[in-house]
Amino acid sequence: MKTIRLLPLELGRLLQSRLTWLVMLLTVLGPAAGLFLYKPATAATMNSIYLANPAIAGGVVGGILFGLLAIFELDRARRSRMDVLTDAAVSPLCTALARLLALLAAAVLTVALTALLWLPVSAGLTGAVFDGTDYLLAYLLLMGAALPLGILAASCAYQFTRRADLSGVLLAVFAALSLTVWAGDWQLCWLNPCVWALSDDFSNFRVFCSVAWMRLTWLLALSGVWTLSWLCVRQHGKGALGSLARSARRAYRPAVALALLACSCAVHLAQPFIDHSNPDLTVMSFYEIPYAQDVTFLSRSAQVFPDTSAGTVTGRASYRLRNASGREQRISFGINPGYAVSHVRANGADVPFSVSDYQEYNEALLEVTVPAEEVVEVTMEYSGLPQESIPTMQGGKELSSEYLCLENAALSPRLLNVLPGENGYPAELEITLPANMTAVPFGSAQAEVVSQDESGARTWRWEDNGTGGILYAGDYVREDIEAGGMTIQFYYGRKHQAVMEEVGAVEAVRAVVDYCTRHYGMLSFGSGETLKLIQSRVAGGGYAADGASLLDEADFTAANLGDTGKGAAPGETFIHELVHQWWGLGNMFDAADPAGPWSAEGLTVYTTYRIVKELYGEAYAREHYVDQWQRAVDDYYLNFYVRHPEYLELLPESEQLSISNSLSGVRQYSEMPLKILRAEQLVGGEEAMDKILYSLFNRELDPMYPYLTYEEFLSACALTEEELNLE
Amino acid sequence: MELKIQNVTMTYPSGKQALKGLNLELKSPSLIGLLGPNGAGKSTLMKLLVTALLPTGGCILADGKPLARAERTLKANLGYLPQDFGLFDELSVTQFLDYMAALKGLPNPKAAIQEVIAAVNLEEKAKAKIRTLSGGQRQRVGIAQALLGDPSLLIFDEPTVGLDPEERIHFRNLFSRTAQNRLVLLSTHIIEDVQSVCDQIVVIHRGQILFTGTPEELIQSAAGHVGAFYAQEAAQERGLHITARVNTGKGVRCRAVADVLPAFAQVEEPTLEDAYLYLISREAAR
Repeated sequence: MKTIRLLPLELGRLLQSRLTWLVMLLTVLGPAAGLFLYKPATAATMNSIYLANPAIAGGVVGGILFGLLAIFELDRARRSRMDVLTDAAVSPLCTALARLLALLAAAVLTVALTALLWLPVSAGLTGAVFDGTDYLLAYLLLMGAALPLGILAASCAYQFTRRADLSGVLLAVFAALSLTVWAGDWQLCWLNPCVWALSDDFSNFRVFCSVAWMRLTWLLALSGVWTLSWLCVRQHGKGALGSLARSARRAYRPAVALALLACSCAVHLAQPFIDHSNPDLTVMSFYEIPYAQDVTFLSRSAQVFPDTSAGTVTGRASYRLRNASGREQRISFGINPGYAVSHVRANGADVPFSVSDYQEYNEALLEVTVPAEEVVEVTMEYSGLPQESIPTMQGGKELSSEYLCLENAALSPRLLNVLPGENGYPAELEITLPANMTAVPFGSAQAEVVSQDESGARTWRWEDNGTGGILYAGDYVREDIEAGGMTIQFYYGRKHQAVMEEVGAVEAVRAVVDYCTRHYGMLSFGSGETLKLIQSRVAGGGYAADGASLLDEADFTAANLGDTGKGAAPGETFIHELVHQWWGLGNMFDAADPAGPWSAEGLTVYTTYRIVKELYGEAYAREHYVDQWQRAVDDYYLNFYVRHPEYLELLPESEQLSISNSLSGVRQYSEMPLKILRAEQLVGGEEAMDKILYSLFNRELDPMYPYLTYEEFLSACALTEEELNLE
Repeated sequence: MELKIQNVTMTYPSGKQALKGLNLELKSPSLIGLLGPNGAGKSTLMKLLVTALLPTGGCILADGKPLARAERTLKANLGYLPQDFGLFDELSVTQFLDYMAALKGLPNPKAAIQEVIAAVNLEEKAKAKIRTLSGGQRQRVGIAQALLGDPSLLIFDEPTVGLDPEERIHFRNLFSRTAQNRLVLLSTHIIEDVQSVCDQIVVIHRGQILFTGTPEELIQSAAGHVGAFYAQEAAQERGLHITARVNTGKGVRCRAVADVLPAFAQVEEPTLEDAYLYLISREAAR
């Protein structure tokens, strides 16, 4: 009670100090570091660049500064001999608690100020994709929660040691651990949450939940340690242990500390987001399970019910099998490790089943014993939070009312050891989604609405053939575009509509598909009649399969579309990204040397130039592409570090990296397109080059080494490397 | 308020024994002067009484309850001014006292603050930042915080240090008035302060109590043991404890205490200072 009365006075006293205001000011300015110096979120989305990085940097700056302020303030009473007066009036435990609460209140005030001041900056920088909820959550979780953790950690150090210098060192070590050794461990990096990307166009529910979980774990842990250190607050002239022994006489105090620590351990161990898949990716033991003898597949169905507010999935799956063996069989399924299975039945009767603790490739092994009946229908119910495998790239299993992605075993248990029947693995799948969401099965299958309930939730059904399946769903805008002799179904996030319309996305898709189909041929993964282009939540790249291609949202941000290295105008950059469907998808280019001049970018930039030339004329294309490449290449050859690479090695590593990246960007985006243009002139013009590129695009692939190399390109052009030398 | 110190021993972790089997009873209303040479154990005793330290032996009872268990009650009724203390420099006098009032849990802090500011003559500096105050003014702020909330037990350790003579007289009277219905313990090396206001005296030496009683009783105990003489008369004399030397027209006139005064010494009426010095010198001689 006295602590509560003391809090406003302690806070008032804290706010009278100039140092407090300096710390608050620097913390408020902290997010600027995320724009220029410290950029842990590496994805190219606007929210990663202009929201995640500033918020995380603000948290790092604020956490450390408020930690130091806590040490200074706690030591101040002792330094100034004020503690002899306060200790005579009230227990030092009471003042320690009041001081902690005052520091926390100052931190809350600072975070609120920071969020308020950076709101117009973030809104301005992120533009059309700005989302108030994401903004608040970012400043609350990515930044805000770091400050109390810093204060708690520093207070613990001081209350244990009662030495400001030693406490400062301990805080520095603790912060350094988070920034270095623990940076890749999402549960340990208490100061700088392991966030690699925030989506612009879709939700970030999973990422924020995961960060909140980490913060909660540390908050409980540090609160527990703080309570222990609080018991060590010196009183009655005793040392740390003597004070601890005396303070711990009230049994509830150490009990609270231990309970907090136990809760922290429990929360740490019970994290629901990341599975325990075998980190050795060469092990594929689930694929080595022998097929069940004389068991074949007839059909399967699944009804999936995502809970978009909780991020969980409930599902019912049914599998019809023919068991010609005349005996019981053990059937194996891969299931997402986050799911719990209940009620496995075969022909209506409960049958024994087990789920393995061992996991690999984001799947646990579900084994079911089916009876010795000829036709067996195995039904099961499953539910839970779908887990992911890569802790440093979380967000892939996003599930909210704006977006979801359920892949294979996360959609429904995946059969592992049953041979296909006459019709392969026919499947009929259903999913019930909120009214605003559109279901987009990845592949050629088309989902249709089969029912709608009173709340507007719609049930979508589609047919597939396979043991797995991937479903994307989101608040999508769908554009049907006739181009290249097929219908392009272009799905993009509704939040991105303004950007897409501004860049003329539909026209760009049409132009690219028409041009590339005409010059290079149909995409190998097109189904012939339709091609789905699906904008996905930021995932670190796209991929393609039968009748569908995934476009990573990071390629279509306003910042990326404004990249003049890829196109003279945002619409042309959009064209550039679409051209990657022909040049650069999957493993077309060897990524072993990402800084090498030969990459997907050379042919893509060259093709973009050709399309722009066709659309806007030769003069425009020459001015905005060829002349620009030439200028960049001329500068490149005059660059000091290119002429004297020995000096580059003398620079600090980060500086070296920055310069190398810039130089390799010039080589990929300017030098190589210019070389391809030179090759075009040497082989006899555009038509001849188109034929060469057609042959390269449609060449027979070596499955052991499917990459398109520079040597292959030169060979197809019948040219040597020296002939394309621009110097 | 009644404090009973029963066979209290205090040994520091370094091994230094500061108090040895101390027994003492203090009851309000009373203004008790605590006297003793440096290192006698006065400050240790005060720290024990405010629970800044816990005794290594014996116990202290506050109104019949062990102090260790009645800590919260004691602190709620305690005003303490240590010899060496600091203040929050960034606060004003009023803000600081408001802070201390909140610590003490006073129900009506504003009135109490006004009262103590007036009592220590700091009205003009009430809104001044503490960092702008002189040493004497800071000492007065210290006294003010101790007086906040009319505590029933007041413990002052050298409270008049840094104060000018006029202020010393003011505070001496203030303590005297305050002690009319409270228990006030005053540790000081200024015997004059004790003589003028204390109704009881405790003398500590080497961790033990040498004397408890009224000032008159202490003075009485030195009767016949205080003498005066000229320095040349005592040239050969040993065993005298000279307490004062005054230059006069006939030479240096000395005042001394001794168990047995020499013949050349003229017996004088003892003062409290003489009595205190006699007590200490007698103990030292043992």
